[in-house]
Amino acid sequence: MSDALEQAYPSKDGLLVWRAPVDAVAFELRKAKTATHAAFHLVLALLMLAFFGASVFFFVQQAEAGTSLFNLAFFFSGNVAVIWLSLSALIGCFLGFRLYAYTDTVTPLPGWGKTRAQREQEQADPNRIRDVAPYYSDAAWECLRFAYDLAVKTGKDELRPVHLFASALSGPAGGIFMTRLGMDFDRVKEGLAALVREGRPLEANAQPALSEEARIVLLHAYDLAREADRRSVGAIELFLAAFEADQAIQDLIDAAGYPPAHVRHVATWVRMQEQLREEQAKFRALAALKPSTAMNRSMTARQTPLLDRFSEDLTLLARNGYVAPLVGREREMEELLRAIESGRRSVALVGETGVGKSALVEGLARRMVEEDVPPELFDRRLVSVNVAQLIAAGDPVLAPQRLLSLLNEVAASGNIILVMHGIESLVGAGSNGGLDLAETLSSELEKGYFLVIATLTPQAWTGLLERRSLGSKLVRVDIAEPESEEAISIIMGRSGYIEYQNKVYFSYGAIEKAVSLAGRYLREVRLPESALNVLKEAAVLARGQRGERALVTDEDVARVIHDKTNVPVEAVTSSESDKLLNLESALHGRVIGQDEAVTAVAQAMRRARAEIREGRRPIANFLFLGPTGVGKTELSKALAAEYFGSEKMMVRLDMSEYQNQDAVSRIIGKPGDDRGGLLTEAVRKNPFTIVLLDELEKAHPDILTLFLQVMDDGRLTDGVGRTIDFTNVVLIATSNAGTQYIQDEVKKGSSIDHIKTGLLEQELKGIFRPEFLNRFDAVIVFKPLDLDAVTQIAHLLLGSVAKRMEEKGIAFRAEDEAVEELARAGFDPLFGARPLRRVIQERVENQLADLILRNAVHRKDTIVLKAGGQLEVEPYHA
Amino acid sequence: MAVEYPAFLVSDLLGSVLRFPLWWYGEGFLRVTGWMRTKLAYRWKSYAFVIWMQNILVPMYGQYDWSGRLVSFIMRLVVLVARAIAFIAEAVWYAFLTAAYAMLPVIAALLFIFNLAASF
Repeated sequence: MSDALEQAYPSKDGLLVWRAPVDAVAFELRKAKTATHAAFHLVLALLMLAFFGASVFFFVQQAEAGTSLFNLAFFFSGNVAVIWLSLSALIGCFLGFRLYAYTDTVTPLPGWGKTRAQREQEQADPNRIRDVAPYYSDAAWECLRFAYDLAVKTGKDELRPVHLFASALSGPAGGIFMTRLGMDFDRVKEGLAALVREGRPLEANAQPALSEEARIVLLHAYDLAREADRRSVGAIELFLAAFEADQAIQDLIDAAGYPPAHVRHVATWVRMQEQLREEQAKFRALAALKPSTAMNRSMTARQTPLLDRFSEDLTLLARNGYVAPLVGREREMEELLRAIESGRRSVALVGETGVGKSALVEGLARRMVEEDVPPELFDRRLVSVNVAQLIAAGDPVLAPQRLLSLLNEVAASGNIILVMHGIESLVGAGSNGGLDLAETLSSELEKGYFLVIATLTPQAWTGLLERRSLGSKLVRVDIAEPESEEAISIIMGRSGYIEYQNKVYFSYGAIEKAVSLAGRYLREVRLPESALNVLKEAAVLARGQRGERALVTDEDVARVIHDKTNVPVEAVTSSESDKLLNLESALHGRVIGQDEAVTAVAQAMRRARAEIREGRRPIANFLFLGPTGVGKTELSKALAAEYFGSEKMMVRLDMSEYQNQDAVSRIIGKPGDDRGGLLTEAVRKNPFTIVLLDELEKAHPDILTLFLQVMDDGRLTDGVGRTIDFTNVVLIATSNAGTQYIQDEVKKGSSIDHIKTGLLEQELKGIFRPEFLNRFDAVIVFKPLDLDAVTQIAHLLLGSVAKRMEEKGIAFRAEDEAVEELARAGFDPLFGARPLRRVIQERVENQLADLILRNAVHRKDTIVLKAGGQLEVEPYHA
Repeated sequence: MAVEYPAFLVSDLLGSVLRFPLWWYGEGFLRVTGWMRTKLAYRWKSYAFVIWMQNILVPMYGQYDWSGRLVSFIMRLVVLVARAIAFIAEAVWYAFLTAAYAMLPVIAALLFIFNLAASF
């Protein structure tokens, strides 16, 4: 006993100890016991049936012989039929006893079957010694036995946590676990085998002993089961306890791509699903007591035909199993009930779209079905009124009348709690000179004969209700967007339903990814709904691709998010990684020179895709400085074409059009105008894009201040009040400011660094504020082009002419001297390569057009641009 | 194993014969009566006696006129009485089952002994 005390594990149920022997004999005996019990019970059942059959046989025989069976004397006269019958009954009783008392030998955990309040009240003696072995389920024993066998097979002198872990992983609980984690056993097999083989070898004729760490695991598993209010200790608890006990296991699983936090979450998830199943059974029993019609149990209610037309009975839906249980949100539910309890006050649930206002109301409906509510809600029904339908159902002037008739029914029935989603639409409705519906409802609420639970967004609350009399009659309960941890657990609670609907399984990675990506990219609807919507789509996608019973992975979720937002969030494929690693050369295919700019852009894209940048700012903020025609805009276009898919994947704002203060509202939209602003709408619809601000120096200073925030926080609030996410844009501003200075310095032969310093410290000072310039990740000076660069550009431009001709089936090439001529003609130190385009147009394209119109060139012919600007046609020879 | 298994056989098989009467009238009896109590409690809830008693003077279907009140009162009384009868009948049936449970092994054993003795 003193030994046990020393090794005891303190818990809320007293001091835990493990007393059952863990050795081959114990396991053999356990197995033999089970087999003996089964055999014995079978024998008893057969005996009972045989004796009963014999008694029936003798009864029939005696009845046929004319003996009267219906007198007392018959039953006490030494009758053989009665002997068999009574013996059969005795054996039956004994068998019943045996089946009850000997088959299910697992002792239920102390908290099992108790309500939350009961569990909170109970206080165990902290010094009580509790042997945890009797609380172990058969599955847990099986797991322990297998772990022992593993230690024997690998010849180890101790059974360690890793044996328990490996054993649990290979059992059914481990199977569920790996599916949920999306884990491939092959990835950890080798490492796990190596861990199992560690440790001292077993001496001859010895047996492995339970190590101290493994013993703690066995006790810890009890604690875990107790925390989760399980009936007994299962294999999943052993799995988790073994995982927690051994750092080497955690490292192994982590290295395979599954962080310890994920493993713990999956354990919570698996147990949560079992708990929900148990609670559902309890709910069904209670739901059977709730009336299946609009009538309450005390039968005081009345028919409500008008209300029924415009509403949905949530308690009835919940009773019939159409409403999912509420996970989390205890604080909000408590606040809601407290408001109702503290004097029958109506409540406004205020929260952004998608945070779960309806889920909270549905949770209340379920509690009303279970009658687990304050007396004010007892034997009542929760009815959701469709406000829009009520207003639209006839003459708008008569809407107040309809509302009043509906409220009359509510009053007469007396058992109805109203739910009004989007109650703000009552404001201003039905007001043709008279009171609007909000005022009507408010004055009726004043009378206190019914309760309303309203839901609305914070904007609607502040804008439309707060300062009205209706607002003052509602107790505001805020429903905040859940943190990602809470959102994950809410979605875990709901996942079962989507899985059932789509006949697929979610991996933990899918849920986690849905929450993190939806939280980042889909801000129109908040968590958890945004993530739930993504998961629903991912489920359909996975089933479509891989059939029923497919596992929905994080990659499916990433695909859905990519399709919705165009942001590449999937794991980088090899082709994409090639593209990224060679982005510089791809960009140089369109931009000649300007190495610094090209490298900076390519590096920013690689940082963004590898997700090592800070996620709270745009992918990159660049300021391109330099004379006109040197490739500033071209580089932006090249990036859009090479990486974003098309040259058009770019929001281009010519800042010369935004020179006055009014322009701000064109960029971000006006309050009350749902169309939003030019920039904010474009980025809202397509968050992964390039925002190109051309000729930035021409913009009004207020607009520059606006971009200060974009560059710093990666977001902008539009005129309607929506926050637009800019963390996936590449912000490129171009400016010609300081052109003269650049050209002068280049002529002097100054280095680019020197020019840049000069620009930042002197030339740009009067144009941009220093804090604005500081926000850019890089200020890049584009060098003026020299003749050599212009020649290369001429090659590029003629290349695109050739491509256009090729579409007509005609080949085109230019001799080097001809190209140099063109370059010389098109070179202008002031305008860069811009005049070149005009020169090519005049000297080449015009002539080509003439040739084609004169029919002087045919398919398959080759046109050659010769020195002197002459075009020569080389006819095709087969 | 060599020692443990026979010991188990003796304690388990023979022990259970000795334990049988103790269990039958102890834990087993509590189980049976507990199960019936749960059944009756559920029935009590489903017949909504408390709710109906609380509302005995409240008219049914919102009929607040005097005739409505009168009819409701009589109706509620009739329903309450009918449900009480049904409830009592069920309780009596459970009482009978409990008695049968308690007496079955005794009667079976007595019949067996009497008849065995009488047959010699």
